[in-house]
Amino acid sequence: MPEPTRASLESQLEQLLWDESLSRRRFLGRSAGAVALAGGLSSFLSACGIAGTAEKNVAELAKLAASVNHPKVPIGDWTFANWPLYVDKPVLRQFDQRYGGHVKYVEEINDNNEFFGKVRPQLSAGKSIGRDLVVLTDPMAARWVRSSYVTPIDKRNTPNVVANMSDSLKSPPFDPQRLYSTPWQSGALGLGYDIKATGRELKSVKEFFNPEWKGKVTMFLDSQDSASTVLIGEGKDPATSDLDAHLAAVETISKAQKAGQFRRFTGNDFTVDLTKGNIVLAMAYSGDMVQLQADNPNLRFAYPEEGAILWTDNMLLPAHVQHPYAAETMMNFVYEPEVAAKIAAYVNYIPPVKGVREILAKTDPEIAENPLIFPSDEQAKKFFSYAQLSSPQRQELDKAFAKVTGG
Amino acid sequence: MRLKNRSRLIPWYFAAPGLLWLLVFFLVPLLNQLNVSLLTGDPEAGYELTWAFSNYTDAISEYWPQIRRSLGYAGVATVIDVIIAFPLAYFIAYRAGRWKGLLLLMIVLPFFMSQVLRTVSWQLLLTDNGWIVSRLKDVGLVADDGRVLATSGAVIGGIAYNYLPFMVLPLYASLERLDRRLIEAATDLYASRAVAFRKITVPLATPGLFAGSLLVFIPATGDFINASLLGSTKQYMVGNVIQSNFLTVLDYPTAAALSFLLIGIILVGITIYSALLGTKNLTEAAG
Amino acid sequence: MAATPTIGKATTEVVAPAGAGDRTATLRTWSLGLWSVFAILFLFLPIGVAIVFSFNEPAGRFNFTWQQFTFDHWLHPFADPDLARSLKNSVLLAVISTVGSVALGTLLAIALVRHRFRGRGTADFFVFLPMATPEVVLGASALGLFLVAGISTGFLTLVIVHIMFTISYVVVTVKARLQGMDPHIEEAARDLGASEWQAFWRVTMPTIAPGVVSAAVLAAALSVDDYVVSSFNAGQTQTFPLFIFGATRQGVPPEVNVLATMLLLFILAMLGLNLGVQKALARRDERRAAH
Repeated sequence: MPEPTRASLESQLEQLLWDESLSRRRFLGRSAGAVALAGGLSSFLSACGIAGTAEKNVAELAKLAASVNHPKVPIGDWTFANWPLYVDKPVLRQFDQRYGGHVKYVEEINDNNEFFGKVRPQLSAGKSIGRDLVVLTDPMAARWVRSSYVTPIDKRNTPNVVANMSDSLKSPPFDPQRLYSTPWQSGALGLGYDIKATGRELKSVKEFFNPEWKGKVTMFLDSQDSASTVLIGEGKDPATSDLDAHLAAVETISKAQKAGQFRRFTGNDFTVDLTKGNIVLAMAYSGDMVQLQADNPNLRFAYPEEGAILWTDNMLLPAHVQHPYAAETMMNFVYEPEVAAKIAAYVNYIPPVKGVREILAKTDPEIAENPLIFPSDEQAKKFFSYAQLSSPQRQELDKAFAKVTGG
Repeated sequence: MRLKNRSRLIPWYFAAPGLLWLLVFFLVPLLNQLNVSLLTGDPEAGYELTWAFSNYTDAISEYWPQIRRSLGYAGVATVIDVIIAFPLAYFIAYRAGRWKGLLLLMIVLPFFMSQVLRTVSWQLLLTDNGWIVSRLKDVGLVADDGRVLATSGAVIGGIAYNYLPFMVLPLYASLERLDRRLIEAATDLYASRAVAFRKITVPLATPGLFAGSLLVFIPATGDFINASLLGSTKQYMVGNVIQSNFLTVLDYPTAAALSFLLIGIILVGITIYSALLGTKNLTEAAG
Repeated sequence: MAATPTIGKATTEVVAPAGAGDRTATLRTWSLGLWSVFAILFLFLPIGVAIVFSFNEPAGRFNFTWQQFTFDHWLHPFADPDLARSLKNSVLLAVISTVGSVALGTLLAIALVRHRFRGRGTADFFVFLPMATPEVVLGASALGLFLVAGISTGFLTLVIVHIMFTISYVVVTVKARLQGMDPHIEEAARDLGASEWQAFWRVTMPTIAPGVVSAAVLAAALSVDDYVVSSFNAGQTQTFPLFIFGATRQGVPPEVNVLATMLLLFILAMLGLNLGVQKALARRDERRAAH
């Protein structure tokens, strides 16, 4: 390790000793840490606690949002962190050509939690994470907003977003005015199945528990995905269901699991099991099913008749963002219907931009007619969103679900 | 009194850079994790140091199935690898003639293709309706309505597959060092190949066997890719739990406590194992 | 039981007398050979599948089902610049960290085997400890250090941690070679007036070279395929395994199979080359010894 400079040691000491919310116990711990720190190399042990991500003052964030001002500056080199294969690359080159500068596009987000785990220390230390735009799924985006890990968007720089955003996405519970987040793509959770193996159409959440498919069903490993779907099946709205309701849903899954109903709990890897015929029914993402159908026309995706979870991946400006104008310009750019159409044709999820379907109807009618990419209005009414669980609640749910899946 | 009175500092010139690297980038961070394992709290409120040794007992009681499974899977996979690797290493060392170099190369080569990609390939090979599983059903190794994927067998097989080269190479190295004339002399003496094999080859191969077992067993206990791709959550190992506590649940203290438990179990296991095999010094034999 | 046929070196092969014993020996050799063939098939089966699917033209984005043969992905393996960059990063990372860990590890191994010094046992154990530590812990704890030290994660931190977790393997491999070596040769060199460094470069290094090469191969293999440790410390640097793991969400494109196969072929060529060089060196030594 390069010898820690005196200045940084001192600033750490200061940080340790003068943190505002210093409980007595923590103070003792930290003082002990400070002694160790003074010891030199083991400065490292000083982090005797791990700072929390508790809700900071959301009102303050809102105040910040009211006065946000990201002036137009020339776009230089800036960084966009996204999931792999989540954009048609020529779109990025087009952006560079039109606005100048260069977007460093990093496909580094493989998992919301994992990415959060990676940048969490910088965020909680109040430092820039070095990315100007990140894409996170609803519950994680909500967590970032709650913890003030975001920078408000200067809407003067994003007129297309204001004009073209799908109405249904305009006020999610975690960000009712879309001050901090802009949808990138949406997708639904539903039933993915092989009609040749089932011999009939499947339409209900109940099918996940139908003994007919015993041992040939997969559900999602994500506790909230699986529990919310079960809640919808019971006629409840997951968004307004509390932790206990979620835990009860986990209990329902647990019973079926004990009876040998489920083969596995998966992430995206349900795709292999389903295409290879290891299972007949999977809890599935709509976008993946569009891609799988290309290889195996017997595969079907159905929105459960009880309703489906609609998740959205959101673009966020992280706190202490360095190139807000560039990031906002990108948001604005991908909300041009022509650009959004290109992305939709490539990723096959539900685009959040109005007018895309009309464009694709001319260029790529097959996609324009696909109900998985452009769900009907009737279907859109039956979309639900996740409950807003706090981190400890989420942890409790995760632990309960882990017991079921690992049992 | 090996080197007469040469400067006593010389070994340190050689050892210091490497040791320092490990000290700064391995030991210090690890000690910090020891600290983390004694914190309590939750991700939103933060964690603070309460010397919570109960984290360890809690972790054991909560994750005992996974810990047991890890040790069991890793143990069985190690035994399978010995069975596959010993004849292979023996063949390469003594019977391969001019093919020796090529064979060794073939053993190392799989390392250079991404583990994830190879494991996904196994997923494709072992599908329920696939050729391999059908044949296994024909010969009765798998029940007619049975499967291979999402079972303990698949995970153990995957682990054995992944770490097989780690067993072959040290076994080969120790067999190759063995003087063939010893065996010949022994064959004359005992007049039985079987006895010669047991009395000469096996004991002399022991260091290789020991090193190979460690190189397979240790990473195998912490493995999680096989369990997550070839198994199901019912086959999750302690590696999966550590991974998810570090990255998903953000329960750092539990993750850290489990890590130290795992390191501790491994060290104790190695000590017992080396005593059983009669190797004086465990790190000596690891070489 | 008759004489055992010695097939150590082809040149010194002993022709065994014909007889019943010879037949069982032949049978043994054959069954061992057959076993070995099966073991190697086992090792290569999934690699074969991965290679076959590099020629597939999947209809969707998921490369699971054989559709039709195409050479396209081989013609444009670098079509995706991010994928290409991730491979470049991985190779560069493997090269740099291998050089680093081989240098540090070899010296360390020499110190541990050749010298008796206070704390040697502890040092021995200390070197062994990283191998007994789950990768997750290595990765997560190193990240903790970088954060406190204010080093932002990226290529540099990847080099640091890759050297860190490969050193032990290098030490173990080189030690194995050293232990099979006669220490008196070096002492003789020193007695003849060679300095410590001269003895090291002229005598020790050449004799342990095969061990060092295997250590380098092992270190490179571990580095180029590391996912877990890298995932914590990569920052925005994308490596090949990180890309593949991430791509599983959206379907691993066939180009990944192509690049993985190309990497394999490249390594094969390098190892083959090394094998040839070593053979040539061995022949040279034999000739010298004959003089």
